[in-house]
Amino acid sequence: MDDIVAGIVKAFELLFSGDESTWTAVLATVKVSTCSMLLSIGAGLPCGFLLGYYEFRGKQHLRTVLDTMLALPTVFIGLVVFAFISNQGPLGDFKLLFSLTGIAIGQTILAFPIVTAITATTIEAVDPLFKLTLVSLGAGKRNIIATCLWEVRYGILAGAVTAYGRVLTEVGISMMVGGNIKWHTRTVTTAIALETGKGEFANGIALGIILITLAFAVNLSLSLLRRQ
Amino acid sequence: MTAVYQLKNIRHFYNDRKVLNIDDLTIEKGSITGLVGPNGSGKSTLLKLLIFAERPSLGEIYFRGKIELPFSKAIRSKVTLLTQKPYLLKRTVYDNIAYGLNIRKDKNDVIRRIKTALSKVGLDFERFAPRKWHELSGGEAQRVAMAARLVLEPDVLLLDEPVASVDMESAKLIRNATLKACEEWGTTLVIASHDLQWLFSISDTQIFIFNGKIFPTGVENIITGPFETHNGNQFIKKLSDGQFLVLPEGGKGKTAALIKKKNISIDQDKKQLNNGFNQCEGTITSMFFEKKKERISANIGLNDLSFTLNFSPDQISRLDLQPGKKIILTFKIDHMEWM
Repeated sequence: MDDIVAGIVKAFELLFSGDESTWTAVLATVKVSTCSMLLSIGAGLPCGFLLGYYEFRGKQHLRTVLDTMLALPTVFIGLVVFAFISNQGPLGDFKLLFSLTGIAIGQTILAFPIVTAITATTIEAVDPLFKLTLVSLGAGKRNIIATCLWEVRYGILAGAVTAYGRVLTEVGISMMVGGNIKWHTRTVTTAIALETGKGEFANGIALGIILITLAFAVNLSLSLLRRQ
Repeated sequence: MTAVYQLKNIRHFYNDRKVLNIDDLTIEKGSITGLVGPNGSGKSTLLKLLIFAERPSLGEIYFRGKIELPFSKAIRSKVTLLTQKPYLLKRTVYDNIAYGLNIRKDKNDVIRRIKTALSKVGLDFERFAPRKWHELSGGEAQRVAMAARLVLEPDVLLLDEPVASVDMESAKLIRNATLKACEEWGTTLVIASHDLQWLFSISDTQIFIFNGKIFPTGVENIITGPFETHNGNQFIKKLSDGQFLVLPEGGKGKTAALIKKKNISIDQDKKQLNNGFNQCEGTITSMFFEKKKERISANIGLNDLSFTLNFSPDQISRLDLQPGKKIILTFKIDHMEWM
């Protein structure tokens, strides 16, 4: 119990004293998670739309693969990305190993199926009268796509928040691909793992509270956006 | 009159099931066409083809003399459909009505036109325009959906059971707005409805649909199964009061048969007839006047079945027909057609 109380006190100390190593980790976390979210939304939204809106041969098989990808362990993604971007890997020349870009690639792979699957499910749930109504109001194909995405914006937002939560809290990819290098690729989650390993529970709890605050801030701002 | 629609050799399938089978159908410009038929007969599917939301599996649809396809510019915003259950976009009433105009990039006097469209369906602009889609009752939502169509001043207005799930006041307002569109802009109306009294009082033509097949002669009489075999090749339909109808050969695997109005005669009493006739007693359940055709439609109940026949006002007086009266229906077995 003492450790928990000490952790909470320490969290405020670390945040408000402007502890540089803590803020670097926070900044790295925000950077990579934002970057991976933008990439996964950019790719997942159109893929999810296509999957949810159109009927085509093999759609069910594709959904099964996508649903399986929802359960991908982060260490496995980390391992695959590591294999690709390490010096011996096919993308070794890009020098992405132990970089924030490398972590962002791995986290994009983690978030992509979540954004795609939730977008597809949301689109599939659109009222069958939606398209007929829009056609009867003179909408063309582009109007229908744009209006459809706008109509299901809250569902897509929920998908993005779910994916962000997963990205923000993952350790496996950041540890394997980023290497937990202080001042460089250390994120809040890898820092928690390190502090706990060192027996510094208070520091670990402090960083955990920071992580939860970050997630809360993101959810709060999205919730406010939704209310508007 | 010129044809606004011509349907040629239309065959439409959902998976392998044929849902429409129309050899030839013409709808004249400015006319009011009533679509009548039981649920699942193909009315909504026909309307979906007329709005060009779907392309027929086989055959062509000509719109103003040209073959048109879904999303073609010639039909967008000119043909519009109001469904039984309205779908409103998740935005305000104003934005819902303005949607069609925005698509057309028509920014001319939008507020006044939306006000006019709302007033046509009895909704006050100040009160309703800022309301969100979920702040409306079912009847109000249907009226907003109607206003969203009326603001487009469409050439063709298709209505699929427009007042089936709204209150009487909303139904009256929607009906009036429909007729006003026809008067004001010469809009061609195609209306599918079970409200035969309303439909028959306003429509120039009634088309009966059953199992995807159309009968341009208006409502015809359907005898639905189950049927039992009779005398080897014939079939019979037993009614719950002990009466039965004999049906011709060729009904194996069929689920319904049709007898056209023109082939049915009515009498006060039963006559001695040979075996080639069906003769059964029915009760007049309702009658209504078809204003445009100056004739009276009577619904006659035969236990589980309902027949519709047309009479001139003279015939009604002569035969002293009125609801509740029992009459004898007579028709040849050979005049019955398997569906």
